[in-house]
Amino acid sequence: MSESKCVHCGADNGNAPVVWNEKAFCCQGCSTVYQILNENQMGNYYRIQPMSGIKVITDTQSGKFAYLENDEIRLKLLDFSDETVSKIRFFIPTIHCASCIWLLENLSKLDNAIRYSSVNFPKKEVTITFDHNKLSLRKLAELLTAIHYIPEITLDQLEKSHGNKSDQNLLIKIGIASFSFLNIMMYSFPEYLPGGDLLEKDFKNIFGWLSFILILPVVFYSSLDYYLSAWKGLKHKIISIDLPISLGIIALFLESSWVVFHNGGIGYMDSLAGLLFFLLIGKWYQSKTYEALSFERDYKSYFPVAVTRIVDGSEEIIPIKNLRKGDRIVVRNQELIPTDSFLLNGNGQIDYSFVTGESVPVAKKLNDFIYAGGRQIGSSIELVVDKEVEQSYLTQLWNQTNEKDKEISLNTHVNKVSQYFTIVILIIATLAFAFRLTTSLELAVYVFASVLIIACPCALALTIPFTFGSTMRIFGRQGLYLKNTDVIEQLYKTDTIVFDKTGTITLNRQIKTAFHGQKLTESEIIEIQSVVRNSNHPLSKALYDNLPKSTLFSIQNYEEHLGLGIRALVNEKEIKLGSPLFISADVSNESFTESRVYLSINDIQKGYFSFANTYREGLQQLISKLSQNYELHLISGDNDSEKERLHEIFGNKTNIHFNQSPSDKKQYINLLRSSGKHILMIGDGLNDAGALSSSHVGLTIADDVFSFSPACDAIMEASKFEKLINFIHFSHTAFKVIKASFFISLTYNIIGLLFAVSGNLAPIVAAILMPLSSITVVSFVTISISFLASRKLK
Amino acid sequence: MELQKFTYDNKITRLFMNATILWGIVGMLVGLTIALELVFPLMSGGISWLSFGRLRPLHTNAVIFAFVGNGLFTGIYYSAPRLLKTPMFSELLGKIHFWGWQLIIVAAALTLPFGFTVGKEYAELEWPIDIAIALIWVVFGINLIMTTVKRRTKHIYVAIWFYIATFVTVAVLHIVNSINIPVSLLKSYPIYAGVQDALVQWWYGHNAVAFFLTTPYLGMMYYFIPKAANRPVYSYKLSIIHFWALIFLYIWAGPHHLLYTALPDWAQALGVVFSVMLIAPSWGGMINGLLTLRGAWDKVRESPVLKMFVVAVTAYGMSTFEGPLLSLKSVNAISHFTDWTIAHVHIGALGWNGMMTFGMLYWLFPRIYKTQLFSTKLANIHFWLATTGMLFFAIPLYFAGFAQSLMWKEFTADGYLKYPNFIETVTQVIPMYGIRILGGTLYITGVIIMIFNLIKTANAGTFVATEDDEAPALESHASVIDKGHRTLEGKPLLFTLLALAAILIGGIIEFVPMFMVKSNIPTISSVKPYTPLELEGRDIYIREGCYNCHSQMIRPFRSEVERYGDYTKAGETVYDHPFQFGSKRTGPDLAREGVKTGPLYKPNSWHYNHFFSPQKLVAESIMPPFPWLIANELDYSKISKKISVMQTLGVPYPEGYANQAKDELLKQANEIAQGLRNEGIDVTDTKEVIALIAYIQRLGTDIHRTDGSSAFTNK
Amino acid sequence: MSAILFLIVIGIIVAAGFLLIFIWAVKSGQYDDSYSPSVRMLFDNEESIPDKEEPLKKKS
Repeated sequence: MSESKCVHCGADNGNAPVVWNEKAFCCQGCSTVYQILNENQMGNYYRIQPMSGIKVITDTQSGKFAYLENDEIRLKLLDFSDETVSKIRFFIPTIHCASCIWLLENLSKLDNAIRYSSVNFPKKEVTITFDHNKLSLRKLAELLTAIHYIPEITLDQLEKSHGNKSDQNLLIKIGIASFSFLNIMMYSFPEYLPGGDLLEKDFKNIFGWLSFILILPVVFYSSLDYYLSAWKGLKHKIISIDLPISLGIIALFLESSWVVFHNGGIGYMDSLAGLLFFLLIGKWYQSKTYEALSFERDYKSYFPVAVTRIVDGSEEIIPIKNLRKGDRIVVRNQELIPTDSFLLNGNGQIDYSFVTGESVPVAKKLNDFIYAGGRQIGSSIELVVDKEVEQSYLTQLWNQTNEKDKEISLNTHVNKVSQYFTIVILIIATLAFAFRLTTSLELAVYVFASVLIIACPCALALTIPFTFGSTMRIFGRQGLYLKNTDVIEQLYKTDTIVFDKTGTITLNRQIKTAFHGQKLTESEIIEIQSVVRNSNHPLSKALYDNLPKSTLFSIQNYEEHLGLGIRALVNEKEIKLGSPLFISADVSNESFTESRVYLSINDIQKGYFSFANTYREGLQQLISKLSQNYELHLISGDNDSEKERLHEIFGNKTNIHFNQSPSDKKQYINLLRSSGKHILMIGDGLNDAGALSSSHVGLTIADDVFSFSPACDAIMEASKFEKLINFIHFSHTAFKVIKASFFISLTYNIIGLLFAVSGNLAPIVAAILMPLSSITVVSFVTISISFLASRKLK
Repeated sequence: MELQKFTYDNKITRLFMNATILWGIVGMLVGLTIALELVFPLMSGGISWLSFGRLRPLHTNAVIFAFVGNGLFTGIYYSAPRLLKTPMFSELLGKIHFWGWQLIIVAAALTLPFGFTVGKEYAELEWPIDIAIALIWVVFGINLIMTTVKRRTKHIYVAIWFYIATFVTVAVLHIVNSINIPVSLLKSYPIYAGVQDALVQWWYGHNAVAFFLTTPYLGMMYYFIPKAANRPVYSYKLSIIHFWALIFLYIWAGPHHLLYTALPDWAQALGVVFSVMLIAPSWGGMINGLLTLRGAWDKVRESPVLKMFVVAVTAYGMSTFEGPLLSLKSVNAISHFTDWTIAHVHIGALGWNGMMTFGMLYWLFPRIYKTQLFSTKLANIHFWLATTGMLFFAIPLYFAGFAQSLMWKEFTADGYLKYPNFIETVTQVIPMYGIRILGGTLYITGVIIMIFNLIKTANAGTFVATEDDEAPALESHASVIDKGHRTLEGKPLLFTLLALAAILIGGIIEFVPMFMVKSNIPTISSVKPYTPLELEGRDIYIREGCYNCHSQMIRPFRSEVERYGDYTKAGETVYDHPFQFGSKRTGPDLAREGVKTGPLYKPNSWHYNHFFSPQKLVAESIMPPFPWLIANELDYSKISKKISVMQTLGVPYPEGYANQAKDELLKQANEIAQGLRNEGIDVTDTKEVIALIAYIQRLGTDIHRTDGSSAFTNK
Repeated sequence: MSAILFLIVIGIIVAAGFLLIFIWAVKSGQYDDSYSPSVRMLFDNEESIPDKEEPLKKKS
């Protein structure tokens, strides 16, 4: 029995499984969900994918979604509502398998007030239409919670409306371009193909006309983005790659129209349509997004939507933005502190792990100042608001950091190349024009247009999207998710790497314990373990995990004193674990910075467990490799208790700073930046948010990439931490590929220019050179990237 | 509000399923018969409706439209409602569709063997049946599209897209290619002539393969493979790209059937380019189908259903690789007119369509009868019989194709054809035809085992006439605005299709006069319309399905010019309604049969005797005897109508010629018959054979005439 | 070769029809989610999943 797996979620049942209907579960929660589904004959859930359930670790308190009763909040969340039905879209990060889709789309079997539900798996969203007269939004959220699909409702959901109209527009542009491309290609081919000289004049005329009609939507709709971007660049006095592209498109179009109307041919319409088709495909390829990941999170996606305020002794729920200084609020177990405030009542145990990465709760006394962002563990507390949400320390920090350097993108590699490129092309075109002017004006114009046509840097422009697109895909498969492809270039330029400590190089929520005091007997250890198993406190859990697995004893009279400790009777011994106060230990002459849990058995003080961070696997090797080529920095919000060890790992070259506040961190980054460094900042918590957004690349380490992470440019799965150097190195590889590809496409351009300058750019030359160069470049970069990745990223 | 409850109708699925099986075995048996006839030419025993030329169209029509047609309807009527979470739009329309379609098949079976044919491959059926097909097809379309409109899922699964594309495109293809002008209830002439007709026909022919045999089955692949393997398709995104790429590309590949023909070179080249491009989406689809089973090969080993699907998809991949290959000019020069083509299409038919259908049936029967398959072992035996049958069928024919082509093209050191006598190239491949019969027999044996297995399965279970399901309505209640959207949403689809139909019909009406009046095919002044007797002879030629074995298209190769005479010019065919280029040379090309100085010329008496008994003149000949041509009186009662229809189509008979046609006919018949009588053959003027001889002796002679005179006296 | 022209015109009309349908499909959000539909189609109504598949397997 002890090795069995939970029927619901597949987790280890341990040696005391919860049994219902002869089925074993790891916990009461899982068993309850199973019962709910079983009663509603929804057993398919377990058939589609066995053990597909979700284990919920922290019990959610009943009032969690009470704020959904508030009309202001409710209406903002709803996508649609009329007298009878409402439509809501929930983000549920735990959606992970086919069973989830099935269950969430069959919600109507659980409650017939639900009319329609559909899951968008890549976005981890479920859209539900329900009868709000029969089922309130709150009840709906609670229903989802009951089956362990806990919706994540955040402040920014209230304010932002998400849509993917631009994706759709791009697809439509591609559809139109490919439609025109294939048709025009058909009309153009006869001219190039063997036997084309026999093409009748009438056909030529008709084909020309049809091509002209078909190219119009391509020129005036599909290519719009290129003109706009080129124009924007010009306004900022920047020559971007889109400028020569736009010039090429216009030159191609005008020249071809001239041919159609005056010479009765087809011109370069096929090349033009093909060009746009390839360019748009490149755009689409590059636009890969990780829809369920959010790189743009700020405090709004982290903070609660509403808070409980106490007015004249009675509680009411209000939207968080209505909070005013001096308001009294209640924060319950597992709820967030929404704004900077003072503790008025209760026992504060604030878990700042999302903020600092430090998972041991901090005890707060009455009238202590509490920063926003922490999570209360234990009983409810009452607070007095000191600052409005917008002014609280963390949000301030955030609001300052939104001015992320936009100039960067104008300085990119490809734009630098394109500047020279454009200037050179314009010079060549003008020279050729002037030279040919001696022969005839018509030829001169023709040559001028030809140069622009053939120089249209399609291949050049395709290199970047396809190289970066492929790289981004491969990174994603390996556990590094980038916000967009620009990050690769920033990663490539990196020369300085800044680490956060807690949660970044240390393991989040995994703590090493050591016992200090009288040596414990084996049975005492088991007794302790039997007791801590019953507690959800992070330290209890850490302790439980650190003690050797064994058959536990049964316990009696278990009591949990929030903020103090736990006690229970095991084998007729009273075991007490907790603060010195709780076990009446005298620690007045000791000062310690680490977390300790004191132990007494039958009121005899035995000593204490100390808790220390564990460093991530492979940290040492990673650091020693990185330190060869990069300047390393470590900035920690903690005290310097682990200074010695850190110096051991990082060596003496590294600048290590302790006791850094969030704004210190940010300033530190800005300082480095101003000295011309190109910075990769690696962090994990809210307190790193400022620093992350100030650096060139802000990278967040996350154990669960779908759960909260601060705004950043990249999210990395924590398990891939030691591969960091491979990723950075691969960005260099990608650039080598780009350079090789530039070389190829420039070679094509030079060949084309030779034709163009000599006035011999026949449509067939354009028709061959343009797609050939595009296809060569695209296949070269995608194949080399995936080949190199298979060798270098494994 | 509660879930809406509804039922899926299995009765219609069962009807189509049974029809699939019935027509499948019929079509295959007819195939086996004609395969036997190629080895034992006397087998038909002088019975006209059993002769190869008449049964071969029956075989192709039965397999394509009856077997595969009912197969795809089975798949669609089963999967579409389940994918769209709604019953089919109308049970009545479903029934009309089913019975209408079966009636069409019966009509085909009752006309084709009796010589009622238009004479265009895969579009042989006469105009009343064509109209019936169009009507029933529209009934099917309305049923499918309205089901889509009334769906309870927001998303339309990719299979449905394939089905809709099938409906739209086949409708267009069928209508465009079937515009004929009737002479009588069962006789009509296509409005296009010669090369033009050939182009339209192969544009249709190729796309029919694409949209009748491929897209609906791809839709079924995307439904039944995931269902049978119980895992989602490898990449749904790829399947969407697969669909759109295929739709936008397929429609242009037709001309590759006419390489080296009188079609303009540039049009041929166009067909080649698009055919080669097609390989990308086709293989994308194949890979997607196969990769769906990645990690489930243990299931494949156990399940005959999946095994059949795997072979089917592999065959699809082979065919779609071979197709572009065959459309390359250099390959086509070798493969065209040989048995290679036959092998190629049978990989598609036996492998892709056949195996997909069998797999689907094995999967459906237990479900519809709520039981388990009677015998997995028998199904496995069927699988192996079908697979080996396919190999025994295709490999010998590939070999035969190469052998034929090499022999046709081989020259001696002195510059003469090594095998000037066509029959030498025939006898070489007869053994291959024999092995092919073995392959076909294995395949059919498998099908018979399947029928037994399925009947046993059906008997063991109880038929589930309707299956209940429930699903929430598709947000139709959400709001007034939403409601508006909802109704409008379905309508553009229907509207687009109706608009499409309207534009097409309008376009056709507008374009038809253009065809009839003017065609910019380079005209050759010496090319004149057929005489009335020749026209009747030509109709007999078509009736007997001569085009199934004899081409009339000499390609510009030295070997062909040497063997048959000067290559065929586009201008020579301008009065050929329909064209008779043919696609297979089981016998020699006849394009210049009538040229007296040509290498193939035979006198009238030879033809007379040859029709009576080919084997008497060429001992090894595999041509069946046509005794009824000699016995039957020529029915020339409709000749003036025929002439005036031809005039409508732009054939320049002098004004009023229709009235003198009968006299002209009798006069020419008398001349030929007199000639035969002079050689001691006892024949009356108005036997069918006289007309056929007149036609054959006319073939290819126009451009060899120097005096400008014509067999028929104009003015 | 007026037939070619005829076929080309028909070709454009058909292709344009499909293009319109494509645009409708994109706009109505048919391609917003390119994964869930492939899973969704596997779901059958309640009783039909287990009872049929398993006996089949046992047999072979």
